[in-house]
Amino acid sequence: MNINATLLAQTFIFVVFVFICYRYVWPPILSMMNEREKRIADGLEAAKKADDSLEEAKLASAKELEGAKKQAAEIIEKANARATQIVGDAKSKAEDEAEKIITSGSKNLENEINKTKEQLRSDLSEIVVDTAQKIIDAEIDPGKHEELIKKAAKEI
Amino acid sequence: MAKELTSESYIDHHLTNLTCGKTESVGWTCDHKYIDEMGFWAFHVDSLMWSVLLGIVFLAIFKLSIPKLKKDTPSGLQNFAEMCVDFVNDNIKSIFPTAGPLIGPMSLTILVWVFLMNLMDLVPVDYLPELAKQVGYSIGAVSDPNDVYFKVVPTTDPNITMGMALAVFILIIFYSIKVKGLKGFLAELTLHPFGKYALPLNLLLEGVNFIAKPISLGLRLFGNLYAGEMIFILIALMLFFDSIVFGLMGMGLHLLWALFHILILALQAFIFMVLTIVYLSMAHETEDH
Repeated sequence: MNINATLLAQTFIFVVFVFICYRYVWPPILSMMNEREKRIADGLEAAKKADDSLEEAKLASAKELEGAKKQAAEIIEKANARATQIVGDAKSKAEDEAEKIITSGSKNLENEINKTKEQLRSDLSEIVVDTAQKIIDAEIDPGKHEELIKKAAKEI
Repeated sequence: MAKELTSESYIDHHLTNLTCGKTESVGWTCDHKYIDEMGFWAFHVDSLMWSVLLGIVFLAIFKLSIPKLKKDTPSGLQNFAEMCVDFVNDNIKSIFPTAGPLIGPMSLTILVWVFLMNLMDLVPVDYLPELAKQVGYSIGAVSDPNDVYFKVVPTTDPNITMGMALAVFILIIFYSIKVKGLKGFLAELTLHPFGKYALPLNLLLEGVNFIAKPISLGLRLFGNLYAGEMIFILIALMLFFDSIVFGLMGMGLHLLWALFHILILALQAFIFMVLTIVYLSMAHETEDH
């Protein structure tokens, strides 16, 4: 064990290696590490932001959905009311129509009956006159007894 | 083999560096025979080679992880690199929050590089030296393979650990002067703790305190690793006895010590880094005593 110029040589080598490390090795490693650290931190922050906005969006969509449900219920209610109204209207209209039809029908019928009655009356008077003429024939003068026949026909 | 292999020569061989230096008689040489002639201007080629090699491994690992860093899901090598950088950064933040841009890369270099150098301790003690012997012999550098010395763990060489401690020491002085000014730095060394009338005493106390930092920093790492290496060598010596029982015991002990040693290797690298941060943090403190 003796100290010699090896010591100075080693000091020189040490300085050279430290310099190389200082110049070419340490800075790139450190800067890349810091860069990545920053990128990861940024990423985490962005993820947190995205999480927050997702929460917001969820709330907004829930609100929207609730509104839509309410609106739908309103529409359905309105539609139901409208339907009821339409049905009611149609019903009353139909009832009116039916009444009208019935009324006009019965009127017609009455008219018809009256007409028929009139016809029958006139027909009967003719038949009576004919028959009476046939029965009594020459004995009775139609001109003389017309007044009497008409009176009789009216009494039928 | 020319020389007889004894346990003493075995240990000696393991603790001797491959040294190249300048001699008066033959000029530059790596021959172990001239080691005493070399004096200060000698280099432990093995320590330096492994140190540079492992430093390149460190830089390569971290450099290779960079192109993949852009991905958001790191994997494998990139995970490892980021884990190390994160670990170093956490330590700096807790010890030295106002650290400048140099502290981080320096701490990372110390942590990983010293750990890699320590890790060489786990390579079984004879593998690489024996390989070096054969290589040295086959290329004709020596006439006897045993003349090739090769120490594998750089941090068991005090030159390596003290070399790094010296660099840290220079940085301590540099930052002390930069932050407090030359006057403030000298005042810290001389006017404390006994006031200006006891200046020599102050300088002695603070000077010892100041010098002790790099010395303890370097010697702590060296001492731990040297002791660990020594124990590996001693365990390996058990195979010298001509006994299967001792041999098996040696293998078991080797495994046990290697497992335990992993803790020391990582811990010492970590301590060297933390102490460097602490010392540099102290150099930045401007509080009045």
